[in-house]
Amino acid sequence: MRRRVALVAIVAFGCLGLTACGNSDGSGATLPTKVIDITFSGSEITPNGTDIDVHVGQRIELDVTADGPGEIHVHSSPKEQQFEYDRGTTRLHVTPIQAPGQVVVESHTLNKTLFTLVAR
Amino acid sequence: MTRPVTAWLIGGLLPEHGLGGAQDLPISRTLTIAGAAAAVAVSFAVLALAWRRPRYDAATSGRPAAAWLASWVDSVWWRGFLRVLGLLALVYLVVVATLGKDLLINPLFGIFYVWIWVGVPVASLLLGRVWRAISPFRLISTGIARVAGGEPDDGVFAYPERLGMWPAALGLFAFVWMELVYPHNVELSPVRLWCGVYLGVMIIGGALFGNTFYARADPFEVYSSLVAQLSVWGRRDGRLVIRSPLANLDSTPATPGLIGVIAVLFGSTAFDAFRDSTRWLTFTQSNDVSTYVQNELGLLAFCLAVGVIFFCACAATRVGPDQPRSGLPNQLAFSVVPIVIGYIVAHYLSFLVEIGTQTLIQVGDPLSNGSDLFGTAGLAVPYWLSYHPTVLADVKVLAVVTGHVVGVVAAHERAITLLPRRHQLTGQLPLLAAMIAFTVGGLYLLFST
Repeated sequence: MRRRVALVAIVAFGCLGLTACGNSDGSGATLPTKVIDITFSGSEITPNGTDIDVHVGQRIELDVTADGPGEIHVHSSPKEQQFEYDRGTTRLHVTPIQAPGQVVVESHTLNKTLFTLVAR
Repeated sequence: MTRPVTAWLIGGLLPEHGLGGAQDLPISRTLTIAGAAAAVAVSFAVLALAWRRPRYDAATSGRPAAAWLASWVDSVWWRGFLRVLGLLALVYLVVVATLGKDLLINPLFGIFYVWIWVGVPVASLLLGRVWRAISPFRLISTGIARVAGGEPDDGVFAYPERLGMWPAALGLFAFVWMELVYPHNVELSPVRLWCGVYLGVMIIGGALFGNTFYARADPFEVYSSLVAQLSVWGRRDGRLVIRSPLANLDSTPATPGLIGVIAVLFGSTAFDAFRDSTRWLTFTQSNDVSTYVQNELGLLAFCLAVGVIFFCACAATRVGPDQPRSGLPNQLAFSVVPIVIGYIVAHYLSFLVEIGTQTLIQVGDPLSNGSDLFGTAGLAVPYWLSYHPTVLADVKVLAVVTGHVVGVVAAHERAITLLPRRHQLTGQLPLLAAMIAFTVGGLYLLFST
């Protein structure tokens, strides 16, 4: 019996310990605009599948340098955002992310993930 | 397109909601470490402190359910009602699959990827063997048996015992391949083809091998019934009993191929998380091999890795001199089920709540012409979990750790039943190591992606 009590106590303690940890989130409305540089050169992309941290509500700007026209998809929920860019430099404004989560940004033209926005 | 189904399905949500992330935030480092530490501590605590004599015996465990409940559940009209419900659902699916439009708001996708894949197992955890109860195939095979004469359970041939659940494992792999790898997974005709092939195989298999075929080879029934072993609803000599989930889990029959089912379920869920990681994306996008092929190989590798880790753990288990080692994987595989379920709950929780509700909104409009047959169009998708990432992360880690605790206790019980006395503690160590590897690996994936 004592064994069982000890077991239950350990499990309960473990669970309490888990729920006690956590992180806080803030609002990014007053933060400077997050500028992300994107380069397309043939089938090469930069960034190539990295994570980029942004704040919830923070303004996001994509500065695209490309050797040809193409399309970028921002897979935000519930509506995804689609942008077109031309050869040369194009500046794109992404609608700020309002809820915490991860948003994948993809090159529709090359079918590759450029980066994932991690909004906290 | 390498986008997961999750992201595509979210496309049709209500526009008044602010833009958010299509996928959950990763869990925090502290929470990951706390969860992993708790899993390790609990594992050894169970080893050191838990009972030394077997506690669960499927022949005696559980108390009979109340008479009214048992007679209700086993009554002909209730069983018939559920089967007819299943048949109507099948008819609905055939209609949306053939007459519906090739749009993301076609409810077929939500029903296929969310309700059936995630909803049915969760319902089975609460209510018991849900898929078996509503399976239209069982109704069809009963009908055929009535007309042709003979028993619906038997069929024309005896189901080969050695085949076990391997066909179901194959079917589950076919599903996760469709869900996670196949580039056109949210287009109508491939999903329709998948369902058509599944339907055909089920009806032919049922005609040949009877209802045994569904219990062993229907991927959704096998999955649902396996999860139901963790519910409080059990059967003893055909009678409905209420058991503790641990005792119920212990009564899982040792069937060949169970390890395959577990490897596919756990491996695929882990791959779904891994596929979005920076490391995998950067790797697959920096070489010339198509990402589709790489994802396919990745999925296969994850499933195989889970199977191999488990198999090695069984091979390293110390057994008695006249005890065959080859039987161990089948006898121990059930204990990994809670770990798999805990991880799947963690992985799919917000997906089930949010896209599951969205699908409920869409079912009223089967032909995408704006109709609202069931009055569900006015429902709002609950985004509470997405807006409370800390709570969501806590629930996820709690689910993973709870699954781990249940799994370790189940493995301990089985080890003291099976192993000779002098190997009862040391014999458990390899399996314990495998379980810790699964749990910590799962937590790491929740953290890193």
